[in-house]
Amino acid sequence: MKAKIIILGLCIFFIAMLQSTVLDYARVYNVKPNLLLIFIVSIALLKGNVEGAIVGFFCGLTQDMIAGKVIGFYALLGLYLGLIVGSVNKRLYRENVLVITFFTFVSTVIYEFCVYFFGTVFRNPVDFISPFKNVIIPEAIYNSVISVFIYIFAIKIYDKLSEMDRLPRKY
Amino acid sequence: MLRLFKSKLFILVLTTLVILIVMGVSTNQNSSVNQFGNVLSVILSPGQKFLSYCGQKMEGSFTFFNDIKAVKKENEELKARLDQLEKERIELEDYKVKNKELREALNLKDQFGDYVFLGANIIAKDPGNWFDVFNIDRGSKDGISSDYPVITSKGLVGKVTTPGLLSSKVIAIIDSDSTVSARISKTRDLVLVRGDLSLKDQGLCRMDYIPPDADIAVGDTIETSGVGGIFPKGIVIGKVKKVLQDNSVMTRYAVIEPAVDFKRLEEVLVLKEKVENKSSETGNVK
Repeated sequence: MKAKIIILGLCIFFIAMLQSTVLDYARVYNVKPNLLLIFIVSIALLKGNVEGAIVGFFCGLTQDMIAGKVIGFYALLGLYLGLIVGSVNKRLYRENVLVITFFTFVSTVIYEFCVYFFGTVFRNPVDFISPFKNVIIPEAIYNSVISVFIYIFAIKIYDKLSEMDRLPRKY
Repeated sequence: MLRLFKSKLFILVLTTLVILIVMGVSTNQNSSVNQFGNVLSVILSPGQKFLSYCGQKMEGSFTFFNDIKAVKKENEELKARLDQLEKERIELEDYKVKNKELREALNLKDQFGDYVFLGANIIAKDPGNWFDVFNIDRGSKDGISSDYPVITSKGLVGKVTTPGLLSSKVIAIIDSDSTVSARISKTRDLVLVRGDLSLKDQGLCRMDYIPPDADIAVGDTIETSGVGGIFPKGIVIGKVKKVLQDNSVMTRYAVIEPAVDFKRLEEVLVLKEKVENKSSETGNVK
């Protein structure tokens, strides 16, 4: 349990750091992928809603601290993203790559639209075409591609963790 | 089982409420909740500094070999230009002295006289694609607090929103949350420069509230007006790129091309108010 917390914490830490610095050089069609979002979706699919929600919360909180305008906005979004994605996992064959690709695509569209909506609704009229064309759809496609790698990475981490857990005791 | 579910739901509702309250409180810039964000930024900022440094170095080394020819040619051009500039510099030096004397005679306040320039590196950018908030490697340790203007030698960049201990968040003028009171240099008309989501990707922003009788053309320079008290007067913002008409309302707006290239921004200057020198200055006046 302790090892899990430490390792997940380190993962979030490094992903957030990559996301805010070097990833700017990996822009395609003027968008960069959202690794934290993919990480939340992967964990939620693998481990269900409770763990998904907790990881989502902390990923969001990290993002809030790096560049949020109010503290808690991304945390709340991440929490519900992890919770909702994690709640639908039981009837799916999780190891299939298409599942994670599909879920990442849908989550990105919903998540980014929420960010856009709450970011503009109090100031400017909400426009539907240009944000979808310029940011949401390109980012969703980019995320879906990257999600395969992060998903495999997440599976590896959990394999290692369960190995470590099995040795001393079972719970 | 029912109890477990109940308690889970209870935890969820409770967390949501707590986050909502924290969000509400943290919209107030001076609240202590924002200091909470410091905790992580203190841990993150050295790593971010290192990584963005590596990124910049890598980008530099990729283009290194292609550049040599161009650099040679550029070098010759620059040498020629240097001679020319040297001549101009001597002239300007002369003007500078005269200007200073005249200013003193008229008792005008120096534009940036009350400020100290503090250099800073950009160490992290917004993780998302919507906003343009970035982190710089100066914090309250260096005496930075919120609303300090951030510029480069070319023009206005933005302002500090949340100062941390070692790093601070800066909001760029192309962010949709940013509004700057500005002035058309030629006609002295007051306008408002705002960030716009659809223009942000191209590094542009828009200008609103153009007076109907204002004579405005493509290429006009826009500068800060000093109204509002955050930005000092006369910092260049950019040039007018396009003047457009709103169809529904009979007002005009313009697309501004900022003088600063936001895509290639690495170093900035923070304008810090001189505090300790103020007393001595007033002493001199007496």
